[in-house]
Amino acid sequence: MRSVLVLSALILAGFALSFAVSEYTLRLLNMAVIAAVAVIGLNFAFGYAGLISLGHSAFVGLGAYGLAILTTKADWSPWLAAIPAVAGTGLAAAALGYPLLRLKGHYLALATLGLNVSFSIVASNWIELTGGTNGIAQIPGLTLAGYKLDGEQTFLWFGLAVLALLGLAALAIHASRLGRAMMAVRDDETAAAMTGIDVTGVSVTAFVLSAIYAAIAGCLFAAHVHFVSPDDFNYAHSITFLSMLIVGGEGSVAGAIVGAALLTFLPEWLRVLGEGYLAFFGLMMLAILVFLPTGIAGLLRRWRRPALPPQDTAAGLDGAVSR
Amino acid sequence: MADLIQLLTNGLALGSVYALAAIGFVIVYSATGVVNFAAGQFVMLGTFAGVATLVNAGWPLPVGYAGALALMALFGLLFYAVVYLPLGRSPVVTIIIGTVAIGITLQNAALLTFGSWPFRLPSPVEGMMLEVAGAVIPVHAVAVVVATAVLIGLMWLLLNRTALGIAMRAVAQDAKTARLMGLRVNALLAFTWVLAAVLAGIAGLMLGPMWFADVNMGDPIALKAFAATIIGGFGSLPGAIAGGLFVGLAEVLGASYVSSAYKDLIAFGAMILFLLLRPQGVFGERIQDRG
Repeated sequence: MRSVLVLSALILAGFALSFAVSEYTLRLLNMAVIAAVAVIGLNFAFGYAGLISLGHSAFVGLGAYGLAILTTKADWSPWLAAIPAVAGTGLAAAALGYPLLRLKGHYLALATLGLNVSFSIVASNWIELTGGTNGIAQIPGLTLAGYKLDGEQTFLWFGLAVLALLGLAALAIHASRLGRAMMAVRDDETAAAMTGIDVTGVSVTAFVLSAIYAAIAGCLFAAHVHFVSPDDFNYAHSITFLSMLIVGGEGSVAGAIVGAALLTFLPEWLRVLGEGYLAFFGLMMLAILVFLPTGIAGLLRRWRRPALPPQDTAAGLDGAVSR
Repeated sequence: MADLIQLLTNGLALGSVYALAAIGFVIVYSATGVVNFAAGQFVMLGTFAGVATLVNAGWPLPVGYAGALALMALFGLLFYAVVYLPLGRSPVVTIIIGTVAIGITLQNAALLTFGSWPFRLPSPVEGMMLEVAGAVIPVHAVAVVVATAVLIGLMWLLLNRTALGIAMRAVAQDAKTARLMGLRVNALLAFTWVLAAVLAGIAGLMLGPMWFADVNMGDPIALKAFAATIIGGFGSLPGAIAGGLFVGLAEVLGASYVSSAYKDLIAFGAMILFLLLRPQGVFGERIQDRG
């Protein structure tokens, strides 16, 4: 229940901000919302099921390219195109997940990284389909009940609504038998298998869910920016998504949103430092990892320990011991 | 035939550089358990240390090389203190993100210092060519292969025939027991980072005359070094060498016989296939091969 309240508060804060900030900040907020959808997805794979994926951006790209190709080459409506784009990405994740998810730790990290690099190479060179490095331009925007969602503000409202729905769905899955099974697999595969959990099935399901969220983020991206190119989905973005999740706090939907927003805005705030701002960004990231190993959500949990939800007890106790 | 000799030499030279980068990555992983995603930036810094001493300061070649490698040794020590000590005990994901973050810092620090304009790093055998069976090959490429072979020999001697190398392997196998045996574990770990940085530095100095020195060169090198490590076998030194040479040859031969657009897909495709079919790589993780 508390997680639902936190999620609602974050969505309402975004809604309130949409009336108060400049066009430029609205654009950043839109980017943050799209990233948040992707990071909530990644939370299924990494936060719940413990699968390190450095290929998340490729799934965002599959969704975005799916929508872009169907709308520009086949003249589909973006709403209709989003369905096969998202479903196709989910299927691709299932097909890749079965063989890949036998790998663990840094092996899985490097395998998914290789997958993302391969995606970029194909997207840059399959020119007839993807337009190569020039990308695909003039992707049509979304229209809702005769109303065009083309302004930054209106798109943000739509994005927040999507984020709210997907966030609620993620919380529901977290509280369900499936969510508990994912966390059991993360914590101890053997013990999970002993209690009758289908470890492979649960891992692949987590991976597919993460890809579906990624593809929805990709569709939002394509419909908002009206342009996709291979650079938008290279492996550096996968690392950014994982950073957002770690900084916000793995295993938490609210943490995923806060991390996505923070790492979208932080480089912009650091721009005042001048040319070297990305050098500072790297150092700040390192400092966050060293001083906030459980992310922002973990920090807040430590402050309000009495209100711990049961599944977070272990993390909370660790915090108590290290204090 | 002449073409093939030329391509093989260039592929082996490029593969040697990847092999050295992969060895630096592997000795750090074996000794400290750190999956160093900044490994490519180490090589980039090596090239730019050479740019600083040879191009900007205009030092003569031997002095410039020595100066660049001394800078890299210092950098390895700094990395040990600033990144490894605070982050070394963290979960693997935190280490991946942390080393990526510091890689971003290194890349942008290099951009601020040297600018985005690419540099040309001179070679001691600049412009010299060799004719073998009708094929013209740059002497630099041959020198790179020979230098790498010598370095690998020296590494083998260090790890198998010196007290320092044996102590390093002891730390890699079991740091706690090594400490109980009276080994100075922290100093040995610091030395491992210095060694990795110097090897990356040598790779960078050898790569400089083959590619243009560009601050963005780190990421592609890191990806190739990862692919080399997986193909050869994670944690194995012979594996890093074999993997590096394979990736270099695949890149050069693939570009000319298969498709220049998809040349990199061969290395990454092979990496993914190995992960699926033989995750321990060609040589596997044999304890006695750890550095």
